[in-house]
Amino acid sequence: MVPANRRGFHFDNCKRNELLESKGSITAKFTKTGTTIVGLIYKDGVILGADTRATEGPIVADKNCEKLHRLTENMYCAGAGTAADTEYTTNMIASKLELHRLNTNRQPRVVTAASMLSQHLFQYQGHIGANLILGGYDINGPQLISVMPHGSTDKLPYMTLGSGMLAAMAVFETKWKPNMERDDAIALVTEAVSAGIFNDLGSGSNVDVVVITKDRTDYLRNHSKPNQRVPKQTSYKYPPGSVSVIRKEVRYHSNANQSPAAVVPEVVMSES
Amino acid sequence: MNDFKQQFLGDTLTKTLFSETEASATTNGLGSTGSGFETTAHKFALAPLQKPVEFAKTHIDNTSETQARIQAAHGTTTLAFKFQHGVIVCTDSRATMGNVIASQTVKKVIEINEFLLGTMAGGAADCSFWERELGRQCKLYALRNKKRITVAGASKILRNMVLNYKGMGLSMGTMICGWDEDTTDPALFYVDSDGQRLENHLFSVGSGSTFAYSVLDAGYHYNMEVEEAKELARRAIYHATYRDAFSGGYVRMYHIKQDGWVAFDLQDVGELDIHYYPERKGVPDNQVQEEIIRPAGVSV
Amino acid sequence: MSITQYNGSAIVAMTGKNCVVIGCDKRLGQQALTVDMNFEKVFRVKDKLYVGLPGLATDVQTLHDRIRYRVNMYDLEEERAIQPDNLAHMISNMLYQKRFGPYFCEPIIAGLTEKDEPYIMGMDLIGCLSSAPDFIVGGTASDNLYGMCEALWEPDLGPDDLFRSASQALLNAVDRDAMSGWGAVVHVITPEKTETYHLQGRQD
Repeated sequence: MVPANRRGFHFDNCKRNELLESKGSITAKFTKTGTTIVGLIYKDGVILGADTRATEGPIVADKNCEKLHRLTENMYCAGAGTAADTEYTTNMIASKLELHRLNTNRQPRVVTAASMLSQHLFQYQGHIGANLILGGYDINGPQLISVMPHGSTDKLPYMTLGSGMLAAMAVFETKWKPNMERDDAIALVTEAVSAGIFNDLGSGSNVDVVVITKDRTDYLRNHSKPNQRVPKQTSYKYPPGSVSVIRKEVRYHSNANQSPAAVVPEVVMSES
Repeated sequence: MNDFKQQFLGDTLTKTLFSETEASATTNGLGSTGSGFETTAHKFALAPLQKPVEFAKTHIDNTSETQARIQAAHGTTTLAFKFQHGVIVCTDSRATMGNVIASQTVKKVIEINEFLLGTMAGGAADCSFWERELGRQCKLYALRNKKRITVAGASKILRNMVLNYKGMGLSMGTMICGWDEDTTDPALFYVDSDGQRLENHLFSVGSGSTFAYSVLDAGYHYNMEVEEAKELARRAIYHATYRDAFSGGYVRMYHIKQDGWVAFDLQDVGELDIHYYPERKGVPDNQVQEEIIRPAGVSV
Repeated sequence: MSITQYNGSAIVAMTGKNCVVIGCDKRLGQQALTVDMNFEKVFRVKDKLYVGLPGLATDVQTLHDRIRYRVNMYDLEEERAIQPDNLAHMISNMLYQKRFGPYFCEPIIAGLTEKDEPYIMGMDLIGCLSSAPDFIVGGTASDNLYGMCEALWEPDLGPDDLFRSASQALLNAVDRDAMSGWGAVVHVITPEKTETYHLQGRQD
């Protein structure tokens, strides 16, 4: 048997899935972020912004997901593309960076994270569908780097990614300028993400923002909520007796949350 | 792209484009066989393309669910059988589009006239259009000849009409049922869009037909009384809806007698299920008896 | 046709006031042919922790076995009962390991936490977690369930009201889906007990 604790990706279902596909069945859809993610450099640091919609085909799978991933205290990463890939890739790099920090006793640098991400993604030749905007502040000042699924990187003062990138970039191209003030910069990021939320079907719900400066990081979860749902006007409660039941079983909990050793077994086996 | 523009914008242009294909479509039509029947075959415009048949195949094919751009409703159980007192025609009433149940109250029996019934399987639009057209042809026959058309004749007209469009994406599996004038036996034919036409005592058509056949074959004999025949048909449809995901809804039943058909009330398959298997009926959630599963050593 | 639709399934989990419910349909089919009318897709992990596995039946069974193995190992190694969020991340990791050859299953977790707070979590077939304050749905009837749940769910429902809302959402959703149905099972999890209801449903 394959050891359960072996590391890395497993490919044991691949042959079977290939066979299923060759017989005409379509492989299932992954959750995509859809996404508008943006980032810019302002006077005192760097700001990242993201919408909070996750989609599965035409369905909104999550109305308030988190696309701003923490790498270290001084670094965040906005992710677009296959949701599981952005989550797991950034998580893995985050733990590597923490080990790196403990080993070197130094604050990790943004370029270190960028190299780790790009090397990991290049190794998988684009099969890991993560489009990332990495933003952070280290001894070299504020930095903004994008990493694409095949491993290429880009260093720019402002950038947008995801299906809503054009709408967001339109805002940046008209209003971004160097050395902006903090409040203006947050407002611009919010406006750019909002442009994605309202003009791109793949993006929606709220705006998350993170502001990273020299000695402070502010994660503004749901900084703007332009799509609040109105409360329901009618209750659709069903009256008692409106469900037809064939059988009902009631299982009383043994003092719940006990450790397994303390739980009395349900069935006592007789010695045979 | 231009072809589509022409189709929607240039009316006169499109007519000239179509006229060539019209000619080819009617060469096989009944109109030219001299049998005295007219068909509406020439009214159908084919796509103004080099290969109109290929276009029809890829865009409006009812048989390949994944490839065709236009998906028609399908999935059905229909059955009909002859017995000593006539023909029993029975269907389910479910329509599906993909996996979604589009309707539970579809009428899959087409009343062609007072003596003829047709059933519906495959493309609903194809069946209802061509069987309506068949009704018109049958009426014309009766007016010309002062005599009702035979079921054999009617089914042959239908077969010949759909044969003109063979391979172009029509989807139809139907049973033409009736009782001819001055005969002692009822008549039952199966006609499909491939051009097949069969006569037999018993047919079932659709995705649930295999299940219906197994019930019918187990209980069928020609000398049944009406009630027994109705119960057999009902059970066959019920069991087909039980096993086939694309059949369900209501059981619809007709009895064709010598003096025409009679229709019976619809029966909900959900209620029929409780009728056959009373133990499947539940009680309201606030009256149900609780069965307590208690882990050892826990007192409540 | 997608391979996740081969067997047919419908699962819903909903939160209420100090309670959660999770329910599933009972059909197992091979495309149009219904093979089993008593195939449950929601499994008990602990007294107050259930997991629903909609998708390809072979993977549902394999995953259930692997989850059971991993949970038992967790019990032995950690000597404490696994919590809902632990289980969610455990399953998520199992799925992401097979990122390039996935199981065709989108698990749904429902339970009560240590503090008896309701917890529901869904994920896609490669383990992308998605949480929601109200409900999580899955399976071939998921589109229908989304519509039903958006209409029926409301905050702070008690166990009985929550049970009826979830049951009606489930039964009405599968009545518009050809691939799922044939009865349903609903588990209502409260701090003291879990009630399991076997519902009457249309058999067509």
